[in-house]
Amino acid sequence: MRKLLFILILFLICACGSKQIPEWKDTSARQLENYKYYFLTDKEGTSEPHFVKAKKAIARSNDLNLLGTVYLTRYALHVSIVENFDDTDFLRINKLQPNAKNFSYYNFIKGNFHTADYNLLPAHYSKLLKPAQDKDLATAVREISSIDDPLSRLVACGVWVKYLPYDDNILQIAINTAADNGWGRPLFAYLTRLQQYYLDHQETVKATSIKDRLELLKK
Amino acid sequence: MAGGKIRGLMSLSREFKVGLFIVLTTIVILLSLLYLAYEKGFFEKVFTFTLSSKSGDGFTEGMPVVFSGFNIGKVHELELNDKGIVLIRIKIPERHVKWVKNDSTFILYRPLIGASRIIVTTNNLYSPQLPENKIPEIEIVNDINDVITKVPPLIEKITLIAANLETLSSNLANPKGDFNRLLNNVTRVTDNLDNILKKVDKMADKADSQLFGKDGTLPQINNILKDIIGKLEKLNTTVDNINKISQEASEGMKDFSTLRSDIDDTVNAIDDVVNKLDDLISSKKDPEFKTP
Repeated sequence: MRKLLFILILFLICACGSKQIPEWKDTSARQLENYKYYFLTDKEGTSEPHFVKAKKAIARSNDLNLLGTVYLTRYALHVSIVENFDDTDFLRINKLQPNAKNFSYYNFIKGNFHTADYNLLPAHYSKLLKPAQDKDLATAVREISSIDDPLSRLVACGVWVKYLPYDDNILQIAINTAADNGWGRPLFAYLTRLQQYYLDHQETVKATSIKDRLELLKK
Repeated sequence: MAGGKIRGLMSLSREFKVGLFIVLTTIVILLSLLYLAYEKGFFEKVFTFTLSSKSGDGFTEGMPVVFSGFNIGKVHELELNDKGIVLIRIKIPERHVKWVKNDSTFILYRPLIGASRIIVTTNNLYSPQLPENKIPEIEIVNDINDVITKVPPLIEKITLIAANLETLSSNLANPKGDFNRLLNNVTRVTDNLDNILKKVDKMADKADSQLFGKDGTLPQINNILKDIIGKLEKLNTTVDNINKISQEASEGMKDFSTLRSDIDDTVNAIDDVVNKLDDLISSKKDPEFKTP
């Protein structure tokens, strides 16, 4: 009984000591995470309202840099599944309140490797700039594999596949990453890419195998 | 006394009485003749005027001189002078001389039918009288010559028409001529038209039977329309039911907003509790917004 009372008091002390997080920040963070999750798990219809809520919550803070980050997150997710994105909103934000870090990230996911600033990019992407400029596939595979964060790894794969010559190794990294995390949408996107890659390289057996796999998985 | 005078006359001789009768009769006859001569203008003064013409053709002695359609005189004599000019002397009685003035014109009119005459035309009746020594020239109006001059072009035209008629008749008569070919074509066209009309007639018959026949389109349409009307009547009931349902639903929907606000309140309350619990239980960190 004494032990229980002690733990309860400790809880209360911890609770009183913890800093209060602004509601908009908490909401937007949660909604953005939900958006990412539903997007990657191939539930776009469900994901979209979360993005809108995240955006509206951040809009209440009057912070255009954060709003830009939210839009860049959205674009990065599209790049991670090798899709195009409409960058109008981010460019409007950047015109109104330029942010070098955000703009550098934008250049990276847009495939403008010569314009992207090495110092302003996250470290795992900075290492990819040189191989991207040199189109060094072997180094890129190594660097991408070394990225710890699975979503960042997937975005790196997407950038490379979207803008540079790729091989089945990179596609396989993306497929493994998506599969490990249960992200259906990138999984199907990269499996389709891999099937097309094998077809382009006259490896019909492998292509057929991937096709059968896709059919089974989507069934 | 009177009886004495009568007795005196009775006593005159028979010879004396006959002689007296003859003398008186002769006197009456002479007086009658004199009156007749007077009336005929025998004692009237006659004026003579001389007219001239380049040709004496058409002039005859005794030819009437006419003013406004009335005879006022006549040609007395014709004469050819030294210069080859024909002089025509006309005599106008005194009572008609007033129509012949200084500015009068004289025209020899030779009609196509009827006798020739000299026509006097006077524009101004107040102008002075024509002097007897003045010789005005006669103008000639010759209907016959005019007609003759007009005849040749007319004949030419008639000849041309005749030639055209001949061409036309030969064309009509020629079996291979344009007219006959046209007729043949018309016959063919008529035959074709006849065939077409027969076909159209058949088509009309068919259309008639298809449209208005027992199993035609219109009876079928009628049946369909009747069917539709029957179904629409049934639908009326359905629509009424739908209206009732929608009214009821609309009334029910009024409560939805209240219900929604209740749900929102409950969810918010639960969210608050969860957040407070989260704050109490976990040491929540300030979220960091980073691009993936």
